[in-house]
Amino acid sequence: MKEPEYYEIRHIKGETTQIEVDNGRLESGGTSFFDVAVIRVLGDSGWGVVSVDTFDPDNKKKLNEYLAQGMALASITGEKVKIEPTEAFLLPVPSLKENPTGISLEEKADLLMGIERSAKIDSIVSTRANYIEKHEEVLFFDSSGKEFTYNTTRCGFNVLAVAGKNGLIQMASEREHTIEGFNLRHKAETGLLSAELAVSLLDAKPAKALTVNAVLDPELAGVFAHEAVGHAGEGDLVLEGSSVLKGRIGEDIGPDFLTISDDPTLPLFGFEPVDAEGSTVVKTDIVRNGKINAFLHNRETLCRIGDGQLGHARAMAGSVPIVRMSNTFIENGDAKREELFSECREGVYLKGSRGGQVDPGRGVFQFNAEYGYLIENGECTRMIRDVSLSGEILSTLHSILLCANDRQMNEGYCGKGGQSVPVSDGAPHILLSNAVVGGSVVD
Amino acid sequence: MRWWVAVSWIERAITEGLKKVDEIEIFTVEGQSITAELRGKSISVAKEESSSGICIRTIDKGRIGASSTNNPIEWERCLQAAISAGKLVSPQEWSGLPGQQNFPSSKPCSDPQVQLGPAFLKDIIYGLIEGSKQYNADITSGGAEASRTRISLENSNGFQASVDYTDNSCSLETIHESSTGNEFDMSWEAKLDPFQTGKTAAFYAEKSWKGSDINTGTYDIVLSPMALGELIESTLIPALSGKNVHAGRSLLKDKLNEEIAVNSLKVYDLPSTTEGLGSVLWDTEGTPTKRIDFIKNGALNAFAYDIRTASRYGKVSTGSAVRSGASGSPGIGHHNLLVEGRNTEVLEEPAVFIKSVVGAHTANPMSGDFSVELSNAFLAENGELTTPVRKAMLAGNVFEMLKVIQGVSKERKVIGDMILPSVRIHDQTVIGV
Repeated sequence: MKEPEYYEIRHIKGETTQIEVDNGRLESGGTSFFDVAVIRVLGDSGWGVVSVDTFDPDNKKKLNEYLAQGMALASITGEKVKIEPTEAFLLPVPSLKENPTGISLEEKADLLMGIERSAKIDSIVSTRANYIEKHEEVLFFDSSGKEFTYNTTRCGFNVLAVAGKNGLIQMASEREHTIEGFNLRHKAETGLLSAELAVSLLDAKPAKALTVNAVLDPELAGVFAHEAVGHAGEGDLVLEGSSVLKGRIGEDIGPDFLTISDDPTLPLFGFEPVDAEGSTVVKTDIVRNGKINAFLHNRETLCRIGDGQLGHARAMAGSVPIVRMSNTFIENGDAKREELFSECREGVYLKGSRGGQVDPGRGVFQFNAEYGYLIENGECTRMIRDVSLSGEILSTLHSILLCANDRQMNEGYCGKGGQSVPVSDGAPHILLSNAVVGGSVVD
Repeated sequence: MRWWVAVSWIERAITEGLKKVDEIEIFTVEGQSITAELRGKSISVAKEESSSGICIRTIDKGRIGASSTNNPIEWERCLQAAISAGKLVSPQEWSGLPGQQNFPSSKPCSDPQVQLGPAFLKDIIYGLIEGSKQYNADITSGGAEASRTRISLENSNGFQASVDYTDNSCSLETIHESSTGNEFDMSWEAKLDPFQTGKTAAFYAEKSWKGSDINTGTYDIVLSPMALGELIESTLIPALSGKNVHAGRSLLKDKLNEEIAVNSLKVYDLPSTTEGLGSVLWDTEGTPTKRIDFIKNGALNAFAYDIRTASRYGKVSTGSAVRSGASGSPGIGHHNLLVEGRNTEVLEEPAVFIKSVVGAHTANPMSGDFSVELSNAFLAENGELTTPVRKAMLAGNVFEMLKVIQGVSKERKVIGDMILPSVRIHDQTVIGV
């Protein structure tokens, strides 16, 4: 067998505990187990990848077979690949305030039932709560001699409330996910919060379709940063020509007070102690002072296109590392929250997120608020529901008029290339001028 | 062949499990796949994957426990975890797992021509690239995949069956200036048309360039199979689940036998067809599958049930238990969902044609309200796509849309577990300038 130019093995084993409470019933609860490995081999003209389960890192004979299998696969590739040299520095994984492994399944279920129970108020017709806890033991080693291991524990819960009246149903949910340890205690009020919001939405008016000034809350503005800028700043999309930001380093994209960053070193839900290719993780400012500043990179994309930093390769267990965001946020501005509303005068205040999506090649994105309010004469008035925003990456950021100084981060999962990874997004309140708001009512 | 040949562990697991619980079920999946990923016109990554998994479910006095692992050597740990999970949960009415059954011979969804080798994929990749050359667009990404999967189910009541599937698919993403296009094809048979797939992806990238603005207003629209699938996947389909209906999470609750759509509309699950990817004689709990007419002549006719939900609410399982691999308990779904209606030339009269949407998953899953960005939208008439639409949103309600469907195309497309036509819908809100 011809020797590979480089190879790496990423072996992850662990277990997942899930509990579901549905309308007061403990529907399911239990633990499952996984053990997967990805062997990635760089041949003369591209990558060969072998993905297997129940991997034994001490079985050298089997490992050599996998490497040969990877080299055979690499022989059908047709793209000469060079990779950036890298040093690995392993950040310590944040310590757990309370380790969930020491808590019985019964106690977790009791606490989750309490959260779900608190959502049962008048007009609520359905409630559901889910808890998920995932432990991963990661082993990485490569042909350059790098080797490290680390363990992570992520856990969190969602609670959903559905309100009904006169044939109309509305839903609201709350979620809290963390890397800091067990988080089900003293959270009963989150069920109540989701229930009260769902009931309020029964009387909210459907949003009108219009172009209007909009204040986004930190959660929605975080999704805005993720969808409108973050994905287009991923080096693999830039390399393949699927990003409108390609070739635009140094160009103005927004006001000079605007900085948008991705930082996997922060001890938040998107934290990584080291990236999935063994590179040291770093903060990257994708937009700095209103200019496109840098792309997020893995070893291959940095080598090919430059303009950025390593440390942004991530992979779901059993999958190939690709360039991903981690903890993505708009930096604080210097405006006070109240100034945004008085400056807006007439418009909409949009809160919460039902997610978003982007076509980075075309440069168009869409994201949806959970609910909002009309802003009339600088004051929030009537509640509105089912409202989304869309925009074009290269022009929308210029419409940010003000950033407040109250940044908050929210946790979630991001999907790309069939892989879902934990992330957090955040921002301060921001004011957008002339935002295109999608609603089902047309004047 | 790997570990499942040595099925003795399954017999041991059932024997050991029955010492502690009333019933036990063991679901196993084993698969191999090969993938080639394109970057530009070159294959950048070639990947082979072998995976296996087992899910053990135990039922004891109406308490259902489950656990899974992809390491069968750990079946005892998995069994113990399932039994522990069962002790935790609330008990429910339980009608029992299916017993031994004899299924008629059927057309298998397994084609030996689907090869798990590089040469098979290279031919598909070549077709994609050649097809894309028919229009002025560059390839950004794409690829081809072929796989084989064996699913086996065995339970303590004597049910024992297994089935083999093949699957192959290809897709291409293209760009012309800042106009993007994409297309895919999938089948269990080795009958993909990669040339047409590449050609279509390039067509949409080139033809969507230099689009015109559209005025905000109401328009008749035509949703492609892809756009229709995106919009119903997170709204209509979960509303047809018996679990959501009884849990108060479906707008269709209490609407059985009511007119909820134009009277020509049919929405049904047809597990027996080999046109789609989900052909199956038994569901993932062992219940025989059958056609389910969810919407029949415009009226809501049925909901989908698995054994758990059916037992709890005094219903009978409709054979609708589905699983995503072996990593969890079954849920309620469908096998091959078809949408049919009055056949018409959907693009003959003026309309806004929508190839796909951006942000369909942000629709309100309870109420069906949505507002999404359009992708590859065109003004159309006389059967032709005339003017590309630069940028616009579509806002509406999926359940209300069903009432104003004007017709569906005769041609339909397989999209995973759905087989869908293009659909023409009257008076929808398009938000432009």
